[in-house]
Amino acid sequence: MKRILIFAFATFLFSSCDDNDDTTDVQPVENAKTTITFDARVGNADFALNKDFTIGSRTYNFSKLRYWVSNVTLIDAKGTEYLIPDSYYLMEEVGDLNLSGTISDSLTYPARKRESIDVEDIPAGEYKSIKFSIGIDAKHNDNLSLQAGELSIANGMSNIAWMWHTSYIFSSVAGSVKEGTTSASFLAETGLNANYKTVSIDFAAPVNFSTAKGLVLNLDITKVIDGIDLIKTPKVNAAQAAVMSALATNYGTKALTFGSLSN
Amino acid sequence: MKFLKKNLLYTVGLSLVLTACGKEESVDPEPLNFQFVVPDNFPQPVWDTENPMTRNGIELGRMLFYDVRLSGNNKISCASCHDQKLAFSDGKALSSNGVSGTVLHRHTPALINLAWANNGLFWDGGSTNLESQAFGPLTAADEMQQDLFELVDELNNVPEYVKQFDLVFEDKISSQNIVKALAQFQRTLVSSNSRYDKFRRNEPGGDLSPTELHGLELVRQKCQSCHAGELFTDNSFHNNGIDADFDNDQYEGLFQGRFRVSYNPADLGSFKTPTLRNVALTAPYMHDGRFTNLEDVIDHYSQKILVSPTLDKQIPNNGFQFSVVEKEAIMAFLKTLTDEEFVTNSEFSSPR
Repeated sequence: MKRILIFAFATFLFSSCDDNDDTTDVQPVENAKTTITFDARVGNADFALNKDFTIGSRTYNFSKLRYWVSNVTLIDAKGTEYLIPDSYYLMEEVGDLNLSGTISDSLTYPARKRESIDVEDIPAGEYKSIKFSIGIDAKHNDNLSLQAGELSIANGMSNIAWMWHTSYIFSSVAGSVKEGTTSASFLAETGLNANYKTVSIDFAAPVNFSTAKGLVLNLDITKVIDGIDLIKTPKVNAAQAAVMSALATNYGTKALTFGSLSN
Repeated sequence: MKFLKKNLLYTVGLSLVLTACGKEESVDPEPLNFQFVVPDNFPQPVWDTENPMTRNGIELGRMLFYDVRLSGNNKISCASCHDQKLAFSDGKALSSNGVSGTVLHRHTPALINLAWANNGLFWDGGSTNLESQAFGPLTAADEMQQDLFELVDELNNVPEYVKQFDLVFEDKISSQNIVKALAQFQRTLVSSNSRYDKFRRNEPGGDLSPTELHGLELVRQKCQSCHAGELFTDNSFHNNGIDADFDNDQYEGLFQGRFRVSYNPADLGSFKTPTLRNVALTAPYMHDGRFTNLEDVIDHYSQKILVSPTLDKQIPNNGFQFSVVEKEAIMAFLKTLTDEEFVTNSEFSSPR
């Protein structure tokens, strides 16, 4: 109860210092909730691990897809923004990950597919768009002691020594790629504050979350790696700043699009 | 497997909100709130890590700092390599005190005036604040090699810790709260009572000899572009001419300095400026401890500069060419920066 009260207090404070906020119009409605799905795809096909996909002249086989979605905000018809509290979500499709020696002598992160987030207590209204970021904002990225949402140093998506910078890995996609007789194992990651990307997606029509039970956004891996030559640069990280920046820009500008609504 | 606990989210959320307003809110003062005292001759420290200092938090951090439970083999603590009598340094060029016994690649930095160290920690600045930084030595295989889950379990077996964490954070023991407490303690490690400080503040015992004053003048002219101000560091990164070839990118750029973090070619061979405070106690010197004593350091800046494109512009290619008298004066002045109160203050010592 104490926790709920303090949350309420925090929400009040937040509203009180946001100039654009018209608090009288935003009333929490019981059970106004929805599920936001980030549907990973390879072009028109569903994304899957350990399965060959042809993209252009190359064959890809993915072993890992992970990325942080943060600061998810719903924007209503008047432009009022509703920031989902503590919205730090790790979206992923991974097999068992051996994280031994990171923060624990022996640690296995179990295989997991996670594409959806459940959002509750959405203020009533007609919403026209959603925005969110891929990665972790500078404040939290720079301070691994801050606890919010799913932020954790225990899942291998923060790294105490990642490129010698104590911070989070924003996105990570791994696998193999081959073209003719040439092949490579790749690990393409983004991170660092400059590569924190915010995505805005308009809905096809205004959405009322008291009736709309599901919102699907598409993440197209062909767009994620568009223009990135993973045979030439199989390891993308801070040491390849320009390629990493291009990869982060792909997440921020074209990989994520509106999918569908379900009622 | 354990994952992040969300128990303290409301506090974080609340502070977030307060910060978001962009102005200082006067929050109900806790009776045990700690008033950080800024020495008269020091600038205001700036940090924003949502980790307000409290007396209990500092005390908890001190317990942890001196507790060997924080290492994988339960034999070393933070203090094993950060010894108060050496201004929280270790006297070694490169330590092999870690759990693995392997010689480290970098020299143990002294812990002095960290409340002002807000431009990156580690020799290459790869960590933004003390909270994040602590995870480095705690988990590094050649340092404390601590399994963080195991550490939480170990501390949970100590009723005093369970009580203290609850008191300080109103939360269970977690690795995040461990590093917060350590950071609170480390920010209290203020060294501001050297003879030089007393001179600056016109306090009793603040007399400097003519030689020391000559040294001060030389340090101001030649050294303080980097070892700046009353903190005697600009908290920035410079290539000080101890090497000229940075092609070796082994160990993920270990020898390339700040470049390994920034990937900016201008940062090749740049390392963090250490403070000159207590410098007579913190031998050996440089990021790899290559200089055994201060004479070697002064000789380097005087006539042994290695020139490369990223050499700091304040350093002449042929060095500062100090005379024998000038070297002696600089040496004499540097010793006035030794703060006996800092290295003997019982508030910084082991609580046991």
